[in-house]
Amino acid sequence: MSIVAELAARPGVIAAGEYSYRGDRFQCKGELSEEHARMASIMCRATNLSAHMQAHFLALGMDPCPFNPASGWSVRGPHFTVCVMANVFCFLDNTATSLNEVMRLMHKHLGREPEDLI
Amino acid sequence: MQSLDELMKLPGAIASFEFSDRGELTEHCLAEGNELTPDILDLVSHVCIANISIATMQARGWEKVTGQAGFYPVEGFTLVGFDWSTVSSGNRGVILRNEEADYQATYDALGV
Amino acid sequence: MIRRLLAIDGVNAVCHFRDDGALVEGHGVLEEQHMAGLAMFAHDYRRILQSHADQLSMFSQVRGWTPPKGWIVHGREATVCSFGNLVCLVDNREASLSEVMRELADTQY
Repeated sequence: MSIVAELAARPGVIAAGEYSYRGDRFQCKGELSEEHARMASIMCRATNLSAHMQAHFLALGMDPCPFNPASGWSVRGPHFTVCVMANVFCFLDNTATSLNEVMRLMHKHLGREPEDLI
Repeated sequence: MQSLDELMKLPGAIASFEFSDRGELTEHCLAEGNELTPDILDLVSHVCIANISIATMQARGWEKVTGQAGFYPVEGFTLVGFDWSTVSSGNRGVILRNEEADYQATYDALGV
Repeated sequence: MIRRLLAIDGVNAVCHFRDDGALVEGHGVLEEQHMAGLAMFAHDYRRILQSHADQLSMFSQVRGWTPPKGWIVHGREATVCSFGNLVCLVDNREASLSEVMRELADTQY
């Protein structure tokens, strides 16, 4: 089972997907329409690029820098959370899922992905 | 809301810090035995503010276009680095070692 | 070719970077290591701004943001200007940003 399918099958996961770093492809499982999944991919890719650049900047002040390279990020709203690790994203319902379990699962599978965002 | 000292009791916490609306470091606590400095925490504070701003723009845009509410206002942002993570909410943040990190407890402690 | 950009008032350094961020050539007051850093920053920043422009188009449903051609980050004393694969470091006291951007646009690869 792919990590996307595994995430999508978890309780409280609204949708999970992956996108290409070049921004030209995406796939998604769950309760997001094709158009919304495309939008989510564009947004996650943008924040991923920022996070990677920020980790590079943090590394200018620390050698070695335990933040660099960035593995992923998450953003939390009142009802939903988005978690991204490498090029995989996941939309969570805050009330129905364990943030730690999802983060741990994503980190285990994707936290050591190569850094080149191609 | 927990104090910076109390935030240091979170699993894996090695620093807790507070920053202005512009991202400048205003207060901090550091655990002994790591290479973090106030200068680095200042940079991390700017990272937190920048990402919360970007996420806020995205939450606004997403809700407007999709009609799906629930992301705005953005309550927290976490950067998962290679070995450390920084979890932020409002004007405060905590740096955690990834292998011990309890993200949920950290958000709870930050008042999310 | 890009060395001539140093003749513009206030331009202290100029770099040409590849699509992967590697420095192709750099001229001016920066050391080689900092030239490479400026090139990588400009490359990363361009990708980020491209993705933000995509989002702006997506959310506003207004055309005209994409593809972004260049950017300016204006500090109190210094400014970084970029157009295409070129980036330059500018001293605010001496430079006209309009002139710098015009020349960068004319020179871009």
